[in-house]
Amino acid sequence: VAASMCPDKAAWRRRVKSEYMRLRQLKRLKKVEQVKNLFRSNREKIEEQTNILNAEWCKLRIQSIPLSPSAGTCTVEFGFPGFKAQTIAVRPLSTVTGMPFMYSWSPLQHNFMVEDETFLHNIPYMGDEVLEQDEAFLEELIDNYDGVHGDREGGFISDEIFKELVEALSQYSDHDEEEEEEASTAKMGKTEDEKVMRRSSVEVRDLSSSKRIPSDMIFTAIASMFPYKGTTEELKEKYKDLLDPASQVKLPPLCTPNLDGPFAKSVQREQSLHSFHTLFCRRCFKYDCFLHPFHASPNVYKRKSKEIRMETEPCGADCFLLQVEFIDQNVLRSQRSRRRRRQPRPTSSGVPGPSRSAEENKDGDSDRETTSSSEGNSRSQTPTKLCPGDDDGEQKACCVVQWSGAEESLFRVLRGTYFNNLCSIARLIGTKNCKEVYEFAMKEFLIHRVPLEDGGILPQKKKRKHRLWAKIQLKKDNSSNQVYNYQPCDHPDHPCDTSCPCVMTQNFCEKFCQCENECQNRFPGCRCKTQCNTKQCPCYLAVRECDPDLCMTCGAAEHWDSKVVSCKNCSIQRGLKKHLLLAPSDVAGWGTFIKEPVQKNEFISEYCGELISQDEADRRGRIYDKYMSSFLFNLNNDFVVDATRKGNKIRFANHSVNPNCYAKVVMVNGDHRIGIFAKRAILQGEELFFDYR
Amino acid sequence: MSGASCKANGAVYPASPAMMNSVKKPKMEQIQADHELFLQAFEKPTQIYRFLRTRNLIAPIFLHRTLTFMSHRNGRSNAKRKAFKVDDMLQMVEKMKAEQESPSLCSHLQLTFTGFFLKDEKPSSNSENEQSSVSLEVLLVKVCHKKRKDVSCPIKQVPTGKKQVPLNPESNQTKPGSYPSLLVSSNEFEPSNSHMVKSYSLLFRVSRTGRRELNGLVNGVANENIDVVDAPSRKKRSSSHKDEAEGTETYVAQMTVFDKNRRLQLLDGEYEVSMQGIDDGPVSKKRATWETLLDGKRLPPFETFSQGPTLQFTLRWTADTSGKSLAPVAKPLSTRNSESCGPMETRTSHHRTALMTVKESVSTDIQTKKEQASCEPRQKLRIFYQFLYNNNTRQQTEARDDLHCPWCTLNCSKLYSLLKHLKLSHSRFIFNYVPHTKGARIDVSINECYDGSYVGNPQDIHSQPGFAFSRNGPVKRTAVTHILVCRPKRIKPSLSEFLESEDGELEQQRTYVSGHNRLYFHSDSCMPLRPQEMDVDSEDERDPEWLREKTATQLDEFTDVNEGEKEVMKLWNLHVMNHGFIADNQMNQAIMLFVESQGAHIVRRNLCRNFLLHLVSMHDFNLVSTATIDRAMVQLQQIQQDLPEPEMEQSDQTLASAGACNGSTLLLSVGKQGKRTKCGLTD
Repeated sequence: VAASMCPDKAAWRRRVKSEYMRLRQLKRLKKVEQVKNLFRSNREKIEEQTNILNAEWCKLRIQSIPLSPSAGTCTVEFGFPGFKAQTIAVRPLSTVTGMPFMYSWSPLQHNFMVEDETFLHNIPYMGDEVLEQDEAFLEELIDNYDGVHGDREGGFISDEIFKELVEALSQYSDHDEEEEEEASTAKMGKTEDEKVMRRSSVEVRDLSSSKRIPSDMIFTAIASMFPYKGTTEELKEKYKDLLDPASQVKLPPLCTPNLDGPFAKSVQREQSLHSFHTLFCRRCFKYDCFLHPFHASPNVYKRKSKEIRMETEPCGADCFLLQVEFIDQNVLRSQRSRRRRRQPRPTSSGVPGPSRSAEENKDGDSDRETTSSSEGNSRSQTPTKLCPGDDDGEQKACCVVQWSGAEESLFRVLRGTYFNNLCSIARLIGTKNCKEVYEFAMKEFLIHRVPLEDGGILPQKKKRKHRLWAKIQLKKDNSSNQVYNYQPCDHPDHPCDTSCPCVMTQNFCEKFCQCENECQNRFPGCRCKTQCNTKQCPCYLAVRECDPDLCMTCGAAEHWDSKVVSCKNCSIQRGLKKHLLLAPSDVAGWGTFIKEPVQKNEFISEYCGELISQDEADRRGRIYDKYMSSFLFNLNNDFVVDATRKGNKIRFANHSVNPNCYAKVVMVNGDHRIGIFAKRAILQGEELFFDYR
Repeated sequence: MSGASCKANGAVYPASPAMMNSVKKPKMEQIQADHELFLQAFEKPTQIYRFLRTRNLIAPIFLHRTLTFMSHRNGRSNAKRKAFKVDDMLQMVEKMKAEQESPSLCSHLQLTFTGFFLKDEKPSSNSENEQSSVSLEVLLVKVCHKKRKDVSCPIKQVPTGKKQVPLNPESNQTKPGSYPSLLVSSNEFEPSNSHMVKSYSLLFRVSRTGRRELNGLVNGVANENIDVVDAPSRKKRSSSHKDEAEGTETYVAQMTVFDKNRRLQLLDGEYEVSMQGIDDGPVSKKRATWETLLDGKRLPPFETFSQGPTLQFTLRWTADTSGKSLAPVAKPLSTRNSESCGPMETRTSHHRTALMTVKESVSTDIQTKKEQASCEPRQKLRIFYQFLYNNNTRQQTEARDDLHCPWCTLNCSKLYSLLKHLKLSHSRFIFNYVPHTKGARIDVSINECYDGSYVGNPQDIHSQPGFAFSRNGPVKRTAVTHILVCRPKRIKPSLSEFLESEDGELEQQRTYVSGHNRLYFHSDSCMPLRPQEMDVDSEDERDPEWLREKTATQLDEFTDVNEGEKEVMKLWNLHVMNHGFIADNQMNQAIMLFVESQGAHIVRRNLCRNFLLHLVSMHDFNLVSTATIDRAMVQLQQIQQDLPEPEMEQSDQTLASAGACNGSTLLLSVGKQGKRTKCGLTD
């Protein structure tokens, strides 16, 4: 067999190539079909609208097109003598002015951060004839990038194609083997019966071959075709991986099994909450938000108020609180543990539980996790079976009660929030009563009391206010258009001094910072009772919108459902924009028009778009300059808003040296955002302009 | 509305050559170049306003008298209302019917002469000893069929009467009833025995004893242009001869009553006919030129009406033989300003051109009457129009002595009204008022900021291509008015509002018409916005569809986040995006809203524990209180219990299938993206 493989190598290579080409062709066709379908569905949407419009126009009076004497007649002559030349008068249709050009863009009401593009996605189209200067420009442009998208198209092989390729090729190998078998049987002259037997065995093997790894020849051939994909062995391993990714073992290390799923494991609190903690954006209140790439994890946030109280009232007749001995023990323990709980819990999720608990609770087994996971996997214990009312406080039954992995994980999660408020925990778990919870807690760790912290000290407001005014003034004086992006500071060991990034960038600390609430660099918000649209308001003075969590008197923290807010300095965050309309501009291209009249200094709209880095803006700007159309707007020293691909209707507002609007970069709850405001009173239907410079 | 359509309307408006008249006499080329610039600037707007004026006469869109600043034109009062009875209406209609029933061609042709006008003459009131009337002889000329033996057509002249006609009367001085009147029996128009009469015409002969020489019209020239448009020259032949023996001047004019096809040419109406003086005796036909000369310059046809002698009269076909001219005779067509008239006025005051006005007499009639009524306290104002052009470097001045709008001849009667009218109706120009010792100066310049965009319903533009700008005449626009302001607070009219503003002209040049005078488009599809779609703002949607999809796919990309977590996160993200929460203190409320709207879904999809994890995580971030967690979970359990029992059974299945999908989707996501891990985010 080994000898026959060598001459086959070339053949295998050929097979790999042809199969690869076939698969790619298939993929391409599939993609083309997808694009076609998408295009068709989009066409249908447009057609629907066109039909509505046509139906309406049909009802209107139709103006006859007059014969124009000047246009003359149109004559068609036939080469064939039998036909007479035909003449008809020309009816010239009046010109319909075309619409300005528009590249498609996606609507957006909030900025959207995108990463730098190191690969040029497409070579900009410069017209059908590429001029020499354009060529030079393109070369320079491509130099700015790491490469052009699709350069390695020919040799590209994705996991999906790889898998399909191997599967397609394994058919060949089966076929070969069969032939081999046949040849050998013919040569050796075996009996028919034996042949059938062997055949069937081959078939049996074939049936099971879906799990079988194909022969090495395939991987060798693929490896020789796509050398950068790895050696034969590596490819083989990869194929094996791809074959059964569904197995639980293959889950990435930090992926916790679904707590509601059948494979829920008993894990530590940090692990259960890891996804929620890391993906949650504390600024947008969303998971994996579009604006902030870095999210702070919550364990560094400090409790504002201590709302956890030890429940004194028993939750029912069977409450563990009624069993006095527990309480005594409990209190004793918690008092002991109280001092130590003061320190923040270790943040690392790898350590299974506080080591302290192991010391104090000797019976807490170290291999808890493994045993509980096996318990969790046993399907016999469904939550519905374990109704809390089933085993009426019989202590013996309690001891026997088994805990599923999910329940155990849930208990640990809730214990971190509710501490020894076991009745609440039991209620939230739902499938265990508080006595069972208590017993489990006894086994698991100690029961401890809520750590109490000293009451907050009220900051000296007068002093701070003076300092605030001075600070705003100072910021205004120093910063010569040097505005830096805000990033929540996190330096737990020292207060916000000159080394604090917020202080260094001359930004105030926000509620998202990890520093103390009493931090000197924090902006305290305003205490206005008016509209916050004069420099009397410290927020307005500092070019900030009122913070709904700081400014409690001006109305920024009220009337969430109505569009009328007494505070006029919170329009961007609330999206209280004006209704804008799109029409061909009186100046150039498209223009933005306002539907209702606005007063001077009223907020009109936020200029939204993609939030890109200054470097990315440089790269994009080159192309935009070439196209003579740019939607770039400088936000601060770090970021630029680009409304080319994503934006809102205000992107069509044109430039004017004598505009009716002005743009202002405002700090809105930690984000710089661009507000467009009325420079004078604007009448309805007026086109909007602002000064781009 | 271009010049072409201007002509098509039947009237030829010599746009501005006449304005040149007042220019002195510099070098010819310079004049021409200057004139070119002047035309360049003012010709087109003037033509447009000329066209609009005529159109407004034929089919008025609005009446000027209804405008507040023209209220003095409204002579109607409500005095009659008190005595009004419903029966009056019937009587009125009956009266009208009776009038209509009477045959149009009646037994008598009644001519009522208003006056004889000669421009060079001072008004009769000014010169005491001057004769205030001229003698007029009216002859009926019958042109008979030419018989074989005749060399020329036999002509019969039948004298119908002689009358004394006031010379240059002032309209407000003479009472309507006192005008001299003549009657011609319709019998005269019957075919006579001896000859077959081909046509009948009236010959007016005015003789006047005067010491002065004519300086206006040198040659006896027949001016053809003043005739009815298609009338052959024969119709109004003016021959001329001078009665020198008596030292009197004789003017003649001829008007056709019936043409050779026996068609009636003279209908009821007011006429002003241009008379020709007879000076040098008959001019041989060969040497005669068809021109009107004035000071060596060519005059447009209508100039003769201000320069040359004209006779004004009212013609009526009446059955009334009594010859009472007191019968409701239409008043003279227009007031003739007794003072000398500038060329400007002549050009524009078209209702003076009698034959033309015949057709329009109905519409102008009322207007004219009103003018008369209101003109009595006449301001003797002289208004200088100073035309600025070529970047305001050049100027030409025209002067007028009345308060008629130079573009549409509207009598504004008051300076304020005139200025207001100019400003509002002729916004293609900028008018600035400058006080002047003799009256007023109005600086006229081109409004560069004139907004010619469409002011009607923008949807009309697209209803049919170009429908809004029909060339077949005025088109009624679809109304776009939304607000009717009743009695707005008006500022007291003051001339100062027309003074040139100090702070640039920005304010003044801004267009007066505001509003949605264009067609808008959908920002996503570039499709025209229908009127009923105006109020829908596509941007009211905080979470466009693609963004909702994006947040889901973005979460799906994670390989180390399990399905239950992903699903809760997606639900929560959509919830936040939909409501647009911005404050920490909204979070407790947000959670409760979430349970309310998505609770059933969470229960059905078996996500309760993941939801609890989400709540605890929110608590860890200091965003919600434990009380909220408790409340939310209680409500969720409530929902769980309320769900019908079969759902609970299904939940086992979904649980199983969720487990299955857990694996398969994971497989997909590994195959597809597999790039993102949450750990990657934290660094």
